[in-house]
Amino acid sequence: MNAAFEKHCNILDYALSALWRRRLKNGGILMVFAAVIFLVASFQLVTSALTETAGKVLAAAPEITVQRMSAGRQEAIPLAYGDRLHEIFGIRATVPRIWGYYFDEVRGANYTVLGVAPDMPQADGLGKAVSGSVPWPLGQGRVVLGRAAAATLELQPRQLFSFFRPDLSLKPMTVAGVFRPETELLTADLIAMPLADARDLFGIPASQATDLCVYVANPAEIVTIAEKISKILPDTRVLTRPQIQKTYQVVFGWRSGFASVCLLAALAAFAILAWDKASGLSPEERREIAILKILGWETSDILALRFWEGGLVAGLAFLLGITLAYFHVVFGGAALFKPVLVGWSVLQPTLSLAPPVTLKEVLLLLAFTVLPYLAVTVIPAWRAASVPAESALSG
Amino acid sequence: MMRRPASVLLSIVALLLAIDAGLLAAGQVRRNEMARTLPLLHSMTAALGLTDLCVATEARYTRHPAVSDPVVPFMDHPAAMEHFPTGSFWTPTIRP
Amino acid sequence: MLIELENVTKVYNQGRSNEVQALTEVSLAIAPQTMVCLKGPSGSGKSTLLSIIGCIFAPTSGRATIAGKPLARLPDRFLTVHRRATIGFIFQRFNILPALSVAENIVLPLLPLGVSPKARRERAGALMDQLAIRHREHFPAGQISGGELQRVAIARALINDPPIILADEPTAHLDSRLSREFMQIMADLKAAGKTIVITSHDPLVTEHAAIDRVIGVKDGRIDVP
Repeated sequence: MNAAFEKHCNILDYALSALWRRRLKNGGILMVFAAVIFLVASFQLVTSALTETAGKVLAAAPEITVQRMSAGRQEAIPLAYGDRLHEIFGIRATVPRIWGYYFDEVRGANYTVLGVAPDMPQADGLGKAVSGSVPWPLGQGRVVLGRAAAATLELQPRQLFSFFRPDLSLKPMTVAGVFRPETELLTADLIAMPLADARDLFGIPASQATDLCVYVANPAEIVTIAEKISKILPDTRVLTRPQIQKTYQVVFGWRSGFASVCLLAALAAFAILAWDKASGLSPEERREIAILKILGWETSDILALRFWEGGLVAGLAFLLGITLAYFHVVFGGAALFKPVLVGWSVLQPTLSLAPPVTLKEVLLLLAFTVLPYLAVTVIPAWRAASVPAESALSG
Repeated sequence: MMRRPASVLLSIVALLLAIDAGLLAAGQVRRNEMARTLPLLHSMTAALGLTDLCVATEARYTRHPAVSDPVVPFMDHPAAMEHFPTGSFWTPTIRP
Repeated sequence: MLIELENVTKVYNQGRSNEVQALTEVSLAIAPQTMVCLKGPSGSGKSTLLSIIGCIFAPTSGRATIAGKPLARLPDRFLTVHRRATIGFIFQRFNILPALSVAENIVLPLLPLGVSPKARRERAGALMDQLAIRHREHFPAGQISGGELQRVAIARALINDPPIILADEPTAHLDSRLSREFMQIMADLKAAGKTIVITSHDPLVTEHAAIDRVIGVKDGRIDVP
């Protein structure tokens, strides 16, 4: 085999032996580094999975949503506001929406209650999203539950339950079906019912709605029409579909509290590793290098040796970290992050994530973790290689 | 006869890469399944007028971050501190 | 002559405030297959002289020719290449790496040469047999006796089959029995064709029968040619 290749294999062997000789210390560094990469990669995978899914799914979100604001808070919007929007050319339809949250005090669960309007786009196709065959549209008093909502209500084998209206009278409801498991990321906590039933449950007057969904003839004019709506209805907040989609591109960031803590922990760990590397050579290390140099190792060989030592630890830690991170997120449901991802939620969807893994993201992670570590080894490696050979002599 | 250390390293790296390939393949199967349900999710989103994924259900601004205003985390009291764990994971939506 | 030094001067930190002249106009010639002892107190310039003979660095001025190669014209890299083909080192306290096994210590000079593991095992094995330390092949070098350590150091110096062996105060930390054993092995190597330069002020070395010449070094100059 080519002598140059064999030489590099020999240096690699020596580096591996050197790492093995101090295996406790190097093993510890490897574990810490792998844990740091695991944390960073897991966060990256979870957020990219959710962002990608949201981007794809929410492409069908309402084009414009109009909410009424009072004293900085959202309030019910008069239906008359929708009538005023007829003045704007380019609006295809305005659909009032009734939805809100119902807090189940017994179980501590928050359900999202959604009134289904028959004139929403593709409303007649909703039956396909429900397990079994459910006649659509729903009859009065009949509801479809999300999987997690159904599990929390613990109704089986009953199909009947009641919620409290604002005046504490009971509103009975019958379960017509459960949304299919593959829709869980959208419907886990949903209780879908006819619009009239939602209005009845929340006690919203007939002249009001929770908000308005506005649909335009030309999607390219969404922003223009939104601006016009803002002018006509100054006490409203107008949200466009691009804004809703943008939310999920920015809602997960490294400035969030959790991510900042992860980053700080990672930086602290990295600083400790770097300090260990940069804190100079021990007398034994200096002696070893001087001996090697006298025995015929060149400066470049010593440099290669030190880079191999750093690179092997960092490289193995990287591989281990990202492997564990992918397993954790995809097959472990991001279990370690769940406490902050879902918090105190009683209703928890089963997170079935499938993040995209691109070469660009892997290289980016490599650049942020392994390369800085290698860079930190440059100066100590150069210092090591500069140990004078004659220092091994008696003097 | 002892194997040279570089061979052992190569075996470990090859094993890790094989595991990675297996995991990615399994992940891709799941991605393909999810891609097949996308039309259904689209029609649901349109029919129900959905604006958010259902991940956290403890607070409205983490359940519906896309349609919540920035004041919502502090609605309990003017001086209230944000107290939901999910608020530390989901950053507030600042709209221009 | 295998080793020729002509008016060799070595100055450390030339031009700076801590400039030190370690050797001044040293001239000496060492023929092949001879054993020479460099004798002198600490700080006399012995180690600097040994470093020049050992192709660790070139002189500041003067001519040094080792095994036919003039050192002054060799860049650092080629000095190293020339050194590992020409010189075998035996250090004071042997400078064996205790965490490595005996065999791993012996083959250290072969690693940067790209010698395959099989070839390394064969060459080290032959030397371990010759020096009767084969039974310690896989022992950590930090756990063997002083005498065995001495042989490991010699085996390492011989692994590249160099024509010149340099031993730097090899008996400084040995008892008289081991010192005599060491000198016997050196005598055998000289008989086998090696040229040996030893720095020492141990009488067991300087007065040994195999020593052809004792060269005194004092204050950076040759005292007794």
